[in-house]
Amino acid sequence: MLLQIGDYLAGAMIGVVTALIVRIIIWSGMDMVIAMLVGGGIGMIVSLLISFMLSPLLGIVETMVPGSLTGMYGGMLFAMRDSMAAGSRTMAAALAVGAIFGIVVTVTIKLYNHALRGTVMEAGD
Amino acid sequence: MDVQTQNKWDRASRTYDFFAAVDDKRLGSEKEQLLAKARGKTLHVAAGTGNDFKFFPVGMDIVSIDISPKMLERAKIKAAAYKGSIELREADVHNLDYPEATFDTVTTVFTFCSVPNPIAGLQELHRVLKPGGQILMLEHVRSTAIGPIGIMMDLMTQLTRQFGPELNRDTVGNVQKAGFRLRRVENAYLDIVKMIEAVKNRSTP
Repeated sequence: MLLQIGDYLAGAMIGVVTALIVRIIIWSGMDMVIAMLVGGGIGMIVSLLISFMLSPLLGIVETMVPGSLTGMYGGMLFAMRDSMAAGSRTMAAALAVGAIFGIVVTVTIKLYNHALRGTVMEAGD
Repeated sequence: MDVQTQNKWDRASRTYDFFAAVDDKRLGSEKEQLLAKARGKTLHVAAGTGNDFKFFPVGMDIVSIDISPKMLERAKIKAAAYKGSIELREADVHNLDYPEATFDTVTTVFTFCSVPNPIAGLQELHRVLKPGGQILMLEHVRSTAIGPIGIMMDLMTQLTRQFGPELNRDTVGNVQKAGFRLRRVENAYLDIVKMIEAVKNRSTP
């Protein structure tokens, strides 16, 4: 149970930190493609660092898979929104979007895990 | 001996148990389920600090190898606590000092993400396995079912291979390329962590 709660908190944390750094670095009017690439790179590094720090508590694979999706794809999304000035108006709103994005990705991964777990091939001896 | 890989895991030995603290809570039952199938003289590849020893059935005859002498030093206490025989040996999976057809079972747990040449390593395991012998693996591999995760793993591997494992390997395919016949494959987490069981054909020399 604690591990499950931890998974959601880790997803939210990675989303928040990614959204924060993207908001600080990306300015309105920045080339959208460059912003997207920078955002994805930021998210990838943020998710790796946080996943690594949380791995003694939550396990590296279970933290890194949803975390890196949140970081990389979330970073791209947040950066595109910020570069187009189409993002959240306040920092608090931007961080909330980051947290929600992280939680949604974590839920999605858990649903996928439920669907994919199990035997995929059995030929016998 | 691959000194670069040896040094990497010697360094990792200091913090290995700290970072693996919850591994057994996440995937302990899968490890237990898989390693319960070990039979006869068993080669356990990549002993690490010995965290997997407790999942083997009691009373087995196991040789556990690792490329890192510092990992093996830490594994001694856990090997001594095992109710059976565990011989710890420093070895490189690419070049094992055992004659052909020595072992009935080979086991690996999160090993072939870090072996520099996985097919060569698996071919060496195939060589030391008796005809009809089995290889039991719990490994993380590249996701093929979820496209964005596969792409992300390809990108992340460019970073992670600098200090640790490669995340995007096709270990199921590599097992087959090394000459094994797949017996069973089960997804333990998404399609990323897999339990792989394969056999060396009886007709194989």
